[in-house]
Amino acid sequence: MRKLRSTVFALAALGMAPWSVAAQSQFGDADAQPAPFNPQMSALMNMLIQPRHAKLGLAGSADNWPLAAYALKELRQGFAVAARAVPRWKGLPVPDLFEAAVAQPMATLDAAIKLKYRRQFDEGYEHLTAGCNACHGTTDNAFIVIKAPEASAFPNQDFAPKQ
Amino acid sequence: MKVRSVLGRITALAAIIGLVATTAWAGGSGFGDDDDNTQEDGPSYFGFVRDTNGVTVPDAKVTVSLKNRVNFVTRTDALGTYKVPGFGKEVDTNEVEVSCAKDGYRQIRATRRSSASTDPKIPIETECTLQHM
Repeated sequence: MRKLRSTVFALAALGMAPWSVAAQSQFGDADAQPAPFNPQMSALMNMLIQPRHAKLGLAGSADNWPLAAYALKELRQGFAVAARAVPRWKGLPVPDLFEAAVAQPMATLDAAIKLKYRRQFDEGYEHLTAGCNACHGTTDNAFIVIKAPEASAFPNQDFAPKQ
Repeated sequence: MKVRSVLGRITALAAIIGLVATTAWAGGSGFGDDDDNTQEDGPSYFGFVRDTNGVTVPDAKVTVSLKNRVNFVTRTDALGTYKVPGFGKEVDTNEVEVSCAKDGYRQIRATRRSSASTDPKIPIETECTLQHM
């Protein structure tokens, strides 16, 4: 009887073991305290930089200068946030890399937008995009190739100037 | 007795799994796939080459030398940066010198940036400055 009770208990324990592991899945524990959110460089690029780069290009292509100014400001802030959040990536100094890659083209774009000068905008945007790709090369991510958007990826936003 | 032993092992295993899972999530969360390259060769060497106006200089020749032993020669990329792997953990980084050159320029200084970090993954940074001749 005692042996039987021990066997039943052991089987129950064996049955519970997978259950207790399953409660904490590979994605964490549902009952844990919320952890600080520390997005890494790839996430920051996808969230803050790439869409803003695209919107800037789309706004400029539509001669929508107020929107282009807004997109440029957002893009600049995106770089600042990313550099503060991840000051070193793969050991490299992120603020310095951003400065070398995009500071000059963004200054050109700023002037072009204020002057509403499309040709200078296109030139600045080309340099900005080249700066992105140069930085990807420096950080061994040359396979991530950025280009000017050929079409909008934002079906719920009108990039044409508001009449 | 055998059943008790099995139960003990199950309990221990569950405890270990719980500990590992907790440890893995203890540092907060992100959702990137950033590399974490472990440097087994001592710190690497990195820096910008700039002109006297602070503008980066692409395609400059950069020589990273370990005194009387070995030279690494490379060129700056489109961003004006160079990178050279480490010479080995045993090498005194103070014995490593960086110089730069480009046609039409002369080197006026090479300044090592001091870092408070002792993280071996952070490269030794030296900025090399060229002046138009």
